[in-house]
Amino acid sequence: MKKMLLTAMIMLTTNLAFAGEELKVGVKGMVCAFCAQGIEKKFMAQPEVAKVEVSLANKYVKLNFKDGKRLPNEKITELLKDAGYEASFEEKK
Amino acid sequence: MKIRLLIATILLSSFAQAHPVSYKDAIGLMSYNNPEMNEILLTYSLTPYFAVAGTYLRDSKSEFYIPRVNFLLKRWNNEDSQGNVYLSGGAGYEKFASKNYGVNLVEFVADWESRKYYIYFDHLYLNRNNDQNSLLPERDYNHSKLRVGTAPFLADYADLNVWLILQGEKHLSESNIEMTQFLRFYMKNTLWEVGARFDGGWAFNYMVHF
Repeated sequence: MKKMLLTAMIMLTTNLAFAGEELKVGVKGMVCAFCAQGIEKKFMAQPEVAKVEVSLANKYVKLNFKDGKRLPNEKITELLKDAGYEASFEEKK
Repeated sequence: MKIRLLIATILLSSFAQAHPVSYKDAIGLMSYNNPEMNEILLTYSLTPYFAVAGTYLRDSKSEFYIPRVNFLLKRWNNEDSQGNVYLSGGAGYEKFASKNYGVNLVEFVADWESRKYYIYFDHLYLNRNNDQNSLLPERDYNHSKLRVGTAPFLADYADLNVWLILQGEKHLSESNIEMTQFLRFYMKNTLWEVGARFDGGWAFNYMVHF
């Protein structure tokens, strides 16, 4: 019983941690994992961001925001520019 | 003469650097090593277009200390590739036989890469006040490097990336081209290369970004 409760708590906590909005932003020029490290670092330093996922194959960065939080597109563009890349806000699958 | 120029090429080829400018506030630590020399290079990118850096290089006769500035002149962020043009300038000194001699540096770098292919060109010009070093007797030193590479498989951001790289280097006043084959590995913020020269020597390069 204890084990079940613990499992349920962990699942609930995990879901809550990433319960905020999710956004996929296209990144032009992102072809090298070593060079793209700055993207993850820049976004993880933002208090609104809970999780960052970089995908070279899909050419996007997926941002999970904290509950009720969001970065404006202008700020995302600026952060990607600081990392050396260009943002593309077209719909990403 | 040929042997002397070959040694000079090997000694100074490592002044070339793969990432002159990185993302804003990035600190880069790079180390280039072969049987003849060791180099440590530290860079700090103030913006994505401008970095300050310092090079320390030593061989059996000389030590070089060269502060430098690196500029990203142009970047092309394409859908499936990226191209860059960099220019660097520096001034420092060469310590030789307990004396210091001035050294000026200008370097031009252009590269293009996709997830599958990579091409890199570098030209280094050094102006040295020291003509006492028998291994490096020339005051004006011109050196070019061309690298082509391919990834045998496509790895993603969190995976181990592996590249096969062929490098050719040439001293402008010499017809001989020094060839080296490299295996490059990188994962997250760490990159390392192991190389074998066609003449039998080895090379080991290491980079990390903070």
